[in-house]
Amino acid sequence: MKRLLGIGAWVVVAALGALGLATIALHRGEGLSATWFVLAAVCSYLVAYRLYSAFIAAKLLTLDNTRATPAERHDDGRDFVPTNKWVLFGHHFAAIAGPGPLVGPTLAAQFGYLPGTLWLIAGAAFAGCVQDFVILFCSIRRDGKTLGEMAKDEVSKRGGTIAGLAVLAIMIILLGVVALVIVNALKSSPWATFTLAMTIPIALLLGVYLRFFRPGRVIEASVIGVALVMFAVVAGQWVADSPAWAAKFTMGGVTLAFALIAYGFAASALPVWLLLAPRDYLSAFIKAGAIFSLAAGILLVRPHVLMPPLTRFVDGSGPVFAGKIFPFCFITIACGAISGFHSLISSGTTPKMIQREGQARFIGYGAMLLESFVGVMAMVAACAMTPGVYFAINSPATVVGATPEAAAATISSWGYPLEAGTMAQLAHSVGEQTLWNRAGGAPSLAVGMAHIFSRTIGGDRLLSIWYHFAIMFEALFILTVLDAGTRVGRFMVQELLGRVWKPIGRMNWYPAIVLSSGLIVAMWGYFLYQGVVDPLGGINSLWPLFGISNQLLAAVALVVATTILLKMGKLRWIWVTLVPMAWLVVITMTASYQKIFSANPRIGFLSYANGLAAQIAAGKIPAAKIGEMQRVIFNQRLDAVVTAVLAVMFLVLLVEALVQWYAILARGKEAKLHETPYVATQWAEGD
Amino acid sequence: MRGRAKTEKRKWKIGLRAAIAKLWQGFREWSGDAAYERYASCAERGREGRVLSREEFYVEQLQKKYSRVSRCC
Repeated sequence: MKRLLGIGAWVVVAALGALGLATIALHRGEGLSATWFVLAAVCSYLVAYRLYSAFIAAKLLTLDNTRATPAERHDDGRDFVPTNKWVLFGHHFAAIAGPGPLVGPTLAAQFGYLPGTLWLIAGAAFAGCVQDFVILFCSIRRDGKTLGEMAKDEVSKRGGTIAGLAVLAIMIILLGVVALVIVNALKSSPWATFTLAMTIPIALLLGVYLRFFRPGRVIEASVIGVALVMFAVVAGQWVADSPAWAAKFTMGGVTLAFALIAYGFAASALPVWLLLAPRDYLSAFIKAGAIFSLAAGILLVRPHVLMPPLTRFVDGSGPVFAGKIFPFCFITIACGAISGFHSLISSGTTPKMIQREGQARFIGYGAMLLESFVGVMAMVAACAMTPGVYFAINSPATVVGATPEAAAATISSWGYPLEAGTMAQLAHSVGEQTLWNRAGGAPSLAVGMAHIFSRTIGGDRLLSIWYHFAIMFEALFILTVLDAGTRVGRFMVQELLGRVWKPIGRMNWYPAIVLSSGLIVAMWGYFLYQGVVDPLGGINSLWPLFGISNQLLAAVALVVATTILLKMGKLRWIWVTLVPMAWLVVITMTASYQKIFSANPRIGFLSYANGLAAQIAAGKIPAAKIGEMQRVIFNQRLDAVVTAVLAVMFLVLLVEALVQWYAILARGKEAKLHETPYVATQWAEGD
Repeated sequence: MRGRAKTEKRKWKIGLRAAIAKLWQGFREWSGDAAYERYASCAERGREGRVLSREEFYVEQLQKKYSRVSRCC
């Protein structure tokens, strides 16, 4: 009877999920309540977790709770720490949740809400969660080895080197792109710039407090820090209202870019306890608070999604970024559905803290489902504003027109009515000078979040505070990635250069720290700078580049996972990782090809560069602008080379893996697994 | 009858207090606030050599955490 009731309950959940999905897919006309998105997503996640993850755990991975995990065998209270599964879930989620699932869906909303939402849900269930779960399992079985180490052991030595280089290259692109998102959010906004600038002295204060006065008392320091940051959000309004102070904090893109580069260098070169760690604590608390508030706000307010299910830009002519729905919707959504970077977390700290193998399902698969839900909420927040406003915020001036009137006319001509006055009114109500041409996703998401929050607390009176709270939350979130990423990048550069000249590899030799920090910020800073000066707004070129590199890293992780599973003799169920891997190969290779060779100058790096070169040759570019255009041409060609190098690196790894697979399957070569030997757990069942 | 209700109420209060304490402890562990206590108890069990001071442990943990990928995009 109990079993029948259980089956009945799951049938109801599945039916509700199907109803939710059908409604968001088939709805036409007036706005659709966000409740349908929540219903479709949550029910789909529940069914995927209950059925698909259980199937993977039982059939593919055969998780074994009698086997001692690395945390049990090496428990030292430092690196290997057995941790309660709920606490570890929180740790893992805080580590994987970055700005990607917020920005990606917001940008992909230009296709309409439907393709992005479906991919967020299905991509997570069948690809992203699978990658995180399987890599976590593989790392647990190898004493917490990293993805690079596993690639070296299980695929080939060259595979390991390629995975390491790919991580460094992706990190550089990622840092440049996320920094560009902050620049576009802070440009000409004294309020937001002041608030974010204030988080630096606040972090320094916390750093000194945590190091010298109350070492390691993270909660009390964070409470003080969060209160100070909230005060800075409110004080930002006073700065914006004071002409003298507002002038000091009103900055252009290039100035902000150099400020961020200087910040990244400082965070990497200064002692970690002084700036980086306290900022991370602040960010973790605010991140958790803001994400749960957004979820609660959407459930309470149930805003109507005003964006149509599909827009006219599915044909590839989108103003936010160019390219057809296939493959660019998938490349743009990236982290909310599957993120290669997660494989670095799943093979980093988490496997060293897990108590039981069986918990890998809850932590690996479950945390990614939650990340996907964050992506769906971002999609709802972005699509809850009128489409005209969305396109006005996210389109560069070169596409829609330089004046408000021209831009409003262009956007209206696309079938999304907009009056120039509407944007001025909206900017005024959120306390900004302008909201035109703020590509990058952060400002439009902040407008959406502010509307949801203000309808919950404070009404229109607090709209500007909520907007700047949302901007601060996104920027803080991104700065955390920027400073932590720059530091890790510095370590990678030191390790690489240390092979050439040993002293550079010494992690505590200050000249080496300064040199390698300078190198890493110079590399991502170059991508940031080219994005800032790009006439098409930067996001059009760089976000797809980031998406391609991120998805290529996910493909690397799935190649490693598939190789390990084949060696384990799991041929029958190999499609679980093989199908998402093949899908990623198809979308990344198609996107790479199009980004390099497409004849459409808004898509292809080379055709854009060649078009500009032809204009210079024909004398159509004024002499004063020739230097600037030549830089743009160089940057486009550089982007083409970077894309090609990443694709070739991945293909080499894939060929290495295919040779292995062939040897195992066709020639019956003995598969040598590098698992740690079985040790029985000493813990009782309920421990 | 009244005595039974009182006992029930007390039990309920004890249960609630225990649940809040558990939640608080979970939150402390998630945030890193309880990391030193965990390390010290592990070191007391004799698996460690010299036990680090709270300050030394804090700095060592940060160095390790931020030398590998700890935050995602």
